[in-house]
Amino acid sequence: MNTETHSNHIQTEILEIPNRFPDLPSMGGYVFFAGIVRNINEGRQVTHLEYEAYPEMADKMISDIIEDAKKQWDLQFADCIHRLGVLNIGEVAVIVSTGAVHRDEAYLANRYIIDRVKHEVAIWKKEYYTDGSSEWSKGCQDETHKH
Amino acid sequence: MKIQLLCFAAMKDFFPAQWDLHLEGVRTLSDLKLYLQNQNPKASSLLKISRFAINQTIVREEEIIFDGAVIAVLPPSSGG
Repeated sequence: MNTETHSNHIQTEILEIPNRFPDLPSMGGYVFFAGIVRNINEGRQVTHLEYEAYPEMADKMISDIIEDAKKQWDLQFADCIHRLGVLNIGEVAVIVSTGAVHRDEAYLANRYIIDRVKHEVAIWKKEYYTDGSSEWSKGCQDETHKH
Repeated sequence: MKIQLLCFAAMKDFFPAQWDLHLEGVRTLSDLKLYLQNQNPKASSLLKISRFAINQTIVREEEIIFDGAVIAVLPPSSGG
């Protein structure tokens, strides 16, 4: 089976939305998720964000999560790229793309990958607010992961 | 024993981002955590919920520290 994985999951350049799907003839379902910087968090107006990572470790952790997803679902394509540095409102912070013969596996694997990336990978977010203050995100306290 | 300590995100409010440490009487990560708490008690609550990695692998607090290890303190992740 033709399986592809990105070799570098952390990048400082702007994340572009792809205008072509992976060229895999038996891929019937392709799910693309984009996590976008929003202007509000817990009632506070956000002006921009900064992402910091332990890049070598984060890259390996994302690779491992993708490999785990491939063990659980019959995927033909899986990738995840996370942005680092300063991001403005509306910019893409993370993309996850998954492809399979049928849509169900692509959906499930995509959700699995983004949930684990958000909660486990050595990446941290600093939020900057309209009042000039800034704060490191405390990380996920929500065990349902439905956010 | 000589180690390099890496601190990220909010942990950098309490300790340097990169810190070369000469440790005496510190055997495990648990001991190191206590050492760091004593160095800066204000870091205690964040240290409690942080993970540790030795040479880029997340390990449990019982893990033995060795000379030359690069130890990272990882506060709860907040990517995505």
